[in-house]
Amino acid sequence: MSAYRFAAAALLFATPAMAGNKLIVPGERIAVAKSPLTVQPTSEWNRLGARRGRNAETWTIDGDSLNDLTFYGGIETGKPLFREANKRSKPLPTVGATMLVTDIPVLFENTYRIALGTATMTVGTIEPVTFAGAKGVRFTYDFVREDETLHRRGEARGAFVGGRLYLVTYEAPALHYYDRSVAAARQVAESARL
Amino acid sequence: MRTIAAALAATLLGAVPLAGAAAPVADKIAPLPPYVAAYQPTNVDERGAWMMADEYERHLRDSPEVIRDPALNAYVRGVLCRTVGDDRCKGVRLYILHIPAFNASMTANGAMTIWSGALLRLRSEAELGAVLGHEFGHFELRHTVEGFRNQRRGTDVMAWASVLMTNSAALQVGVLGSLYRFDRGQEQAADMLGVRYLAGSGYPAAAAADVWERMMSEADATAIGRHRKADQRYTAGFFATHPTELSRATYLRAFASGVDGGGSAEGVRYREALAPWLPMLLTDQIKRNDFGGSEYLLGRLAADGWTTPLLFARGELYRERGNPRDLVNAAEFYEQAIERGDAPPEAQRGLGLALLRGQQTDAGKAALREYLRRKPDAADASIISTLVAS
Amino acid sequence: MSKAWGVVLAAWMLVMVVAMPAQAQEKTGIKPGFTLKPGTARIVLLRPAIKVGAQSTAGLFEPNADWTAQARENIGRSLAKAQGGLGNSVVECSEPIGADAAMLAEYQDLFDTVVQSVIEFQFFPGNRLPTKKRKDQFEWGLGDGLARLPAFAGADYALFVTTEDHFGSTGRKVLQVFAALARVPVTAGVHKGFAGLVDLRTGELVWLNADMQMGGDVRDAEGADKRVRQLLEGFPGRPVPAPVAVASAH
Repeated sequence: MSAYRFAAAALLFATPAMAGNKLIVPGERIAVAKSPLTVQPTSEWNRLGARRGRNAETWTIDGDSLNDLTFYGGIETGKPLFREANKRSKPLPTVGATMLVTDIPVLFENTYRIALGTATMTVGTIEPVTFAGAKGVRFTYDFVREDETLHRRGEARGAFVGGRLYLVTYEAPALHYYDRSVAAARQVAESARL
Repeated sequence: MRTIAAALAATLLGAVPLAGAAAPVADKIAPLPPYVAAYQPTNVDERGAWMMADEYERHLRDSPEVIRDPALNAYVRGVLCRTVGDDRCKGVRLYILHIPAFNASMTANGAMTIWSGALLRLRSEAELGAVLGHEFGHFELRHTVEGFRNQRRGTDVMAWASVLMTNSAALQVGVLGSLYRFDRGQEQAADMLGVRYLAGSGYPAAAAADVWERMMSEADATAIGRHRKADQRYTAGFFATHPTELSRATYLRAFASGVDGGGSAEGVRYREALAPWLPMLLTDQIKRNDFGGSEYLLGRLAADGWTTPLLFARGELYRERGNPRDLVNAAEFYEQAIERGDAPPEAQRGLGLALLRGQQTDAGKAALREYLRRKPDAADASIISTLVAS
Repeated sequence: MSKAWGVVLAAWMLVMVVAMPAQAQEKTGIKPGFTLKPGTARIVLLRPAIKVGAQSTAGLFEPNADWTAQARENIGRSLAKAQGGLGNSVVECSEPIGADAAMLAEYQDLFDTVVQSVIEFQFFPGNRLPTKKRKDQFEWGLGDGLARLPAFAGADYALFVTTEDHFGSTGRKVLQVFAALARVPVTAGVHKGFAGLVDLRTGELVWLNADMQMGGDVRDAEGADKRVRQLLEGFPGRPVPAPVAVASAH
């Protein structure tokens, strides 16, 4: 009983109550991350009820440890990508007013390094790409989650539109899972529109 | 613990000579007791096909965070052995972890870790010895074991509990407050023992005080950079397990001044050994989003002059914060690095991007073109090309 | 990713766990239609992943070398006893070295990650993914690369076993939920046990027992026997003891 009350109390101080996990039906164009960003998936996904930030949304097929498609919708100047665990001692970097498209992978890498607490995050190739109709950037990355040893790979697409950052990331264990869903993830990212 | 601290303090203080005396180190303080490597696990043996390796050391061995470079490991180990002596050094397994913060630890079963952020911040072999010696002091005094008594069920033998700070767990002070923390008495005891090691090693014993002072100054700089007050109570990050305040550096300096044999701290040798790693360590530090602390650190590292890697790192630091004035300063730092003639191509990239962000389009594009000329196969060549073309 | 997010999820899941009756938590999964006849398959048992430790004062896991070594000894013995009675040939994996060892370790990590996902997103009723809710569905796997490792040459199935035990002090039991970084729902302590059978041809996880609150104290021999019994309960292809006829003249 005390455990229940403690948890209930914790919920009061935490972020707003989470909805459950929702099925994403293929074929429809839908808005993501509480933003003007929309995508049109051609295969099934699940949308997770838990959000890592006010303008973030995560889709998955088998659970976000196995495939994680995350949308960041319109992060504004002065804001970090997601809710920080410890704003006081480990503040996350924020979107800057004059940022160039090349600053997107830097912001992302530094955010992950601080959140992961290690330096085992590396960014690979960085290329120009059209994203959501804007001149954006596509980059790959590798990392290991804290307290884990499983290698993970990621691919991201992002752009600044109207002074706000829009980003779509796909992450999965390098072993088997990355390749399994990368095509489906790319299809969703490439369908993005603003 | 307090009795040991008192005993050590008494020994040290009692042995301090009159000012002006130039007695050799050996006469000044009581020799360290002979080292007895106790707590060997005698109840583990290999049976059949199943290997009985320490599971978490295996994890540590396979961890992507361990820096395995033989030369660096040999060097750090060499400093440890010179500090605490070969007897003590023999059973230690040393792991250098690629974590960009200051920390070092030692488990009750003899696994010592030091983080790459510590190697960046230390300035000499004496300081490295001071840090490793301090941790070894906790180990020799069994502080980790005493914090954690666990009876094994069903037998009379008292199991020794290993307190291993897993790689990032120690950095994640996190939601629940600090990890295992030594109390003041234990800290003082480890300090005393550390000073005794240093005194017997030939390294100057004041090194320990220097390290603490700079750590506290850096914490102040970090706080100020984040628009907070430097409140001089140090309890976060590294200090979560080694809480401290100013008096600590003071008493350490006082003890050290009495026992210093005047040996060399080997600063030059240390910096030479770390030189190949400096670019990586600086990059890791800049990416931590700690402007104040990084600026302080760069300033200390530049005490003997602003070298190319330091100027480049300063450019990256200012460009990362990215305020209009910062971009102007960053461009200057990159230019200074480039003028020295041995700057990496990334300095041209940094210069170009800083100028572009600062609306100096032509000059920015020119620098980026130079970057592409010097590094045509760069991983970001294609995106940089679009910036040049636009 | 961020800890605050993890804390929120943990809190939410704790509420769900406490609110739900214990029976609602599933613990076994079988690929629909999967059967295994006794005496038909060669199964390779990987070196079990075993971790035992305590909760520190701050609620984080601290490995205990002595306990882990005891658990390894005990579980090893219990598994050896049980291996013969599983209906099919079960041999221990020969210890690989070098690159193969690293790859095997990576597969072990992947297995653990998949099972955590099965628990979090299929077994745990409050958090099921809609695509994992369909009747009798059990679609999980490790990919078909596993078969290429020399350790599995000539084998049909791989058997993965993982146990992890965190012994916590009474005062810390509630805080343990948050310390688990939102990966799994836990009520008191962690006594995690996974046993999974993987079809080497397809990489599919065809059978799984997974429970975060397994019985048996693995630090002693009887406890390990109990743990291994629970882990291998319902193992496919295990010869079923002859049923006692209800109304017969025997």
